[in-house]
Amino acid sequence: MSSVVFTTTTTTTTTTTTTTLPPTWDLVGATLSDNFAHYLDLLGRVPGGQIVLRYIRSSYKNDPIRSLFELALFIFALNYFLSSKKKENKSDLIKFSDREIDDLVDEWVPEPLVEDLTPLERWQLNSIPTIKGKNGSHVIINDKPVVNLASSDFLNLNENQNVKEAAKSSISSAGVGACGPPNFYGTQDVHVRLEEDIAKYLDGEQSILYGQDFVTAGSVIAAFLKRGDLCVVDSGVNLAIQKALIVSRCDIEWYNHNDVDHLEKILVELKPGLDKQKPIRRRFIVTEALFASTGDICTLPKIVELKNKYKYRLFLDESLSIGVLGGTGKGVVEHYGIPRSEIAITIGSMALSFASSGGFCVGVEPMVHHQRIQSNAYVFSASLPPYSAKVASQSIREITSNLNSLGRSQLVQTLHDKTLFVYEALTAASKKSPYFEVISSPHSPIVHLSLKAEYRSQLNLPALYGNTTFLAKGKPAKLLNEFDDFYNIESFVLQKVIDFVLLQSNILVSRSKNIIEHENLPLLNPHLLVYVNNGVSKDELTRATQILPVAFAEVLKNVKNEDTLFDLTDDLVMYDEHYKQL
Amino acid sequence: MSRTTTYTTEIPNAPEDHRPAEILSELEYGKLTSKNYLYESRHPVGEALPTPIDDEPPYIIYIATYISYLILIIIGHIRDFFGKIFKPRDYQDLVEKDGYAPWEDGFESFYVRRLKLRIDDCFARPIHGAPGRYIKCFNRVREGKVGYLYDGTSNECLNLSSYNYLGFAQSQGVCTDFALKCVDERGTSCCSPRSIAGTTDLHQECERVIAEFVGKEDAIIVSQGYGTNANLFSSLADAKTLVISDELNHASIRFGIRLSGASVKVFKHNDMKDLEKLIRNQIAQGQPKTHRPWKKIIIAVEGLYSMEGNLCNLPKLVEIKDKYKCYLFVDEAHSIGALGPHGKGICDYFSLDPARVDLLMGTFTKSFGATGGYIAGDKALIEKLRVNYITQAYSEGVPPPVLGQIVSSLKVINGSLNPGEGEERLKRIAFNSRYLRLGLKKLGFIVYGADDSPVIPVLLFLPAKMPSISRMLYSSKIAVVIVSYPATPLISGRARLCVSAALTKEDLDYVLKQFSVVGDMIYLKFSSGIAGGSKIAGVPPRWSIEDVLASNVLDCKQPKLGYTFSSDSQDSGEKLD
Repeated sequence: MSSVVFTTTTTTTTTTTTTTLPPTWDLVGATLSDNFAHYLDLLGRVPGGQIVLRYIRSSYKNDPIRSLFELALFIFALNYFLSSKKKENKSDLIKFSDREIDDLVDEWVPEPLVEDLTPLERWQLNSIPTIKGKNGSHVIINDKPVVNLASSDFLNLNENQNVKEAAKSSISSAGVGACGPPNFYGTQDVHVRLEEDIAKYLDGEQSILYGQDFVTAGSVIAAFLKRGDLCVVDSGVNLAIQKALIVSRCDIEWYNHNDVDHLEKILVELKPGLDKQKPIRRRFIVTEALFASTGDICTLPKIVELKNKYKYRLFLDESLSIGVLGGTGKGVVEHYGIPRSEIAITIGSMALSFASSGGFCVGVEPMVHHQRIQSNAYVFSASLPPYSAKVASQSIREITSNLNSLGRSQLVQTLHDKTLFVYEALTAASKKSPYFEVISSPHSPIVHLSLKAEYRSQLNLPALYGNTTFLAKGKPAKLLNEFDDFYNIESFVLQKVIDFVLLQSNILVSRSKNIIEHENLPLLNPHLLVYVNNGVSKDELTRATQILPVAFAEVLKNVKNEDTLFDLTDDLVMYDEHYKQL
Repeated sequence: MSRTTTYTTEIPNAPEDHRPAEILSELEYGKLTSKNYLYESRHPVGEALPTPIDDEPPYIIYIATYISYLILIIIGHIRDFFGKIFKPRDYQDLVEKDGYAPWEDGFESFYVRRLKLRIDDCFARPIHGAPGRYIKCFNRVREGKVGYLYDGTSNECLNLSSYNYLGFAQSQGVCTDFALKCVDERGTSCCSPRSIAGTTDLHQECERVIAEFVGKEDAIIVSQGYGTNANLFSSLADAKTLVISDELNHASIRFGIRLSGASVKVFKHNDMKDLEKLIRNQIAQGQPKTHRPWKKIIIAVEGLYSMEGNLCNLPKLVEIKDKYKCYLFVDEAHSIGALGPHGKGICDYFSLDPARVDLLMGTFTKSFGATGGYIAGDKALIEKLRVNYITQAYSEGVPPPVLGQIVSSLKVINGSLNPGEGEERLKRIAFNSRYLRLGLKKLGFIVYGADDSPVIPVLLFLPAKMPSISRMLYSSKIAVVIVSYPATPLISGRARLCVSAALTKEDLDYVLKQFSVVGDMIYLKFSSGIAGGSKIAGVPPRWSIEDVLASNVLDCKQPKLGYTFSSDSQDSGEKLD
């Protein structure tokens, strides 16, 4: 097409030039054409040269300028293909002599590899509790027996004898480590068995195991979403998914956290553009089932309806909800009574309710098979230890084997009862307290307590921390978030509540420990977290729900405004000494 | 075997093994057969690291390799073309359906469908039991496109495939006992991320022991090796930091750097001149566009490269890093435990003070029979990471049995548990690595990598030789890993042998014999001799297997794996037997 355009323009110019040529031009032209004919003759003898000649002859047609023009085009094209891409960037480089570079090297003062912890940060290090001996529902901290309401082993299977026996039988026959990636002799019978067990338990076609829960999302999403693919994502997703989306480089649209109306609005807006797309690219709706940052549950029925209507696949992170939601712990899908087949990709963790380690992904056969070769964390990493696989299989058996008359798992039912108990007790207490409120769902075994919005505004605390670059532009901010004084002091206030509860009642609760530097989405205020687990008795839960309001009141009694809040800074800097006294 | 064999599509459960415990123990970790079969791996101080020599095969091999791939690709496309017409059901996963894009399109999956799937039986052979000296692979036959049928029996192969350098993949012994005790006392799960409620005294002990072992002030442990690297760089680097990475660095390092958003420059594998030139230019030019100086420059390398068997040139790297004020990150995934007179990795091997490397990363999967990874460094660095490292706050901690395995195996290595056993393991892996490598070189195979490396890649080049070597060795009860694109360049497909301290010298003799037979049969003995192994300088090495076995014990203990061998050494070798 383009060459046609060029030739028409050149012919018009030649007609004007030839008329104004001086007579000497004819002479020069004659000698040139003699020589030229000689070379053409030579070219004709080269194999294949005849074809070139014929082309030149047919294009020449008494129009030398046209031939010259074509030659120039040919040279340009040749030059373009031969010049490497790197060369183009060279224009940006400055030339230095060796001596100048030596001087620049001497001059250069790099920053330290990491900045040391500042006095304002150091308390975080010292606030990490150290458990002596076994971890579980009851632990030893500072040589005192403590009720552990900070463990994610919700069903208390870590203390289950059958689970331990399963681990021991595996270790006594296969050792501890798997000693190889799954594709190179790292797959054992127990791994395959667990994949079958998980698929069966969650009513999926097939499943695949990962060695660590956090890497699962990053590897699964990156295996399917590439540049040009699209996903519509809940803006409250956890860090693992945030990082996964960044790495995948796909196009991202955000909908407000758990706001299905907003989701629908976005899907409607996107539809006209997508209808024209040829070929169709992969598109996903990405959400968590039970959100780690807020403790609420996604509105799955509506999302499923929308994804079917607008032809999206659904990626669901059930890390926190497997073993927790639904009558037999099958997650948010069972909670709402929706078939698993509606969920294209489900990922989950085995390090929480299953008392094992690692992560998994469940879905249809081609999806899982694709990951066995294309998913980084599966291909380039050692398999899960065989004993972990056996433990997870045993845990599934423990959950599903002991059903009550309604067909619900006893273990999960106990957790539901205890969770609801804590939720109701704390909700009732929060109504009387000016300081805190419960913001998680009544089904979440991690009960989120937040400082009340009015109280927070009284202290001049910002509504959200972090940055909005990722939300606004779809590309993450180039630099990490800065250290935030408000976030730090608000976290510290919660730590004081935690310490009070630990000191007064020997109960360990926790708080959200999101690392603000790494969060790419706007970060909610830190929450005080109560991790309910089956091993803790009702009495102990009652004690916890009674002491918490007291602790909030005691810690915050003198904190009335921003100034009094930051008066706690002295306390924060001296935290190390303070903690030693505990 | 018999006509009544019943096949199942599901992998059978591991059959019960009723052999006596001593025999089972011997099958996991062979007893040392002679004190002669020990060696200490250490690089002579002050001597430059010899540049690894990658031998080239005859041109005909290269041409044949390219033609092979061309034929495979053409046949693949022909099959796709007719398959789409006549067997559309086989392709339904590759085309749009009801308005949904396919999971993977035909182009993306072509390599897997049409090349990898042809030799699928050589990958992911399911096993049972501890992958020690022997590995038990379930027998299976192909069924349909991706399925297999199992008859319940298994094939007990000599194990040259697992990462089991020091032979700690055992189901009995002190380490296993300690791991079992951890299950009883502490359960099976860490129960929580480290910074919430997942830090126990055992975690702290493990970090202390590993820090002491590698010679750093402090260390931090993570539940997976891949996850260690994948999240580390976010805590160290941002867009104003430059990370200079070796071109053959492991996927986890590359993923981690990409996640951090740092600028990356890649230097030629192990090429210190290229690295220095790159650093000089980068310091001079600064950041792109703005030309502001970089905040910091981190050099990321591996101690031992898992596909090449090459060591990094640590003495030179440390010199460069000091000269140009960069920071050095060394991934010791394969070198920790496997190298150095005390098994302390690449610094130990080069007799260098570990303080001169800023970040030492390693994994527990390869040498310690456990799983997970660690970062070791100065106290201030590790303290910062405890607060600012993604895995600490968001991911599971290391579970108790794994901690038990790590702590006990480290104690065996440093001699505080079962004195003498750790030293023997270290000396056996050093001897075994050199013995097998030199033997293969003498036979005429092209072998990559450093003399002391326990990773021994045997180059095959032609794609068709990959399944043939894998199947032939498998039928003579030797398990090896074959690797090809994308883990290696397309033309240099290879069989990778991972040597273990659990193997005896006699095991290696058997491996050499089988390799010699297979090498003759499928024409793999085509080395030119420039990488060593020749009897007479300049003549390609083609020793007979008898000659190799007769002389190899003494020859492999020569400080440099002799590039020529005097007749003396050969004679004394014969005398020994």
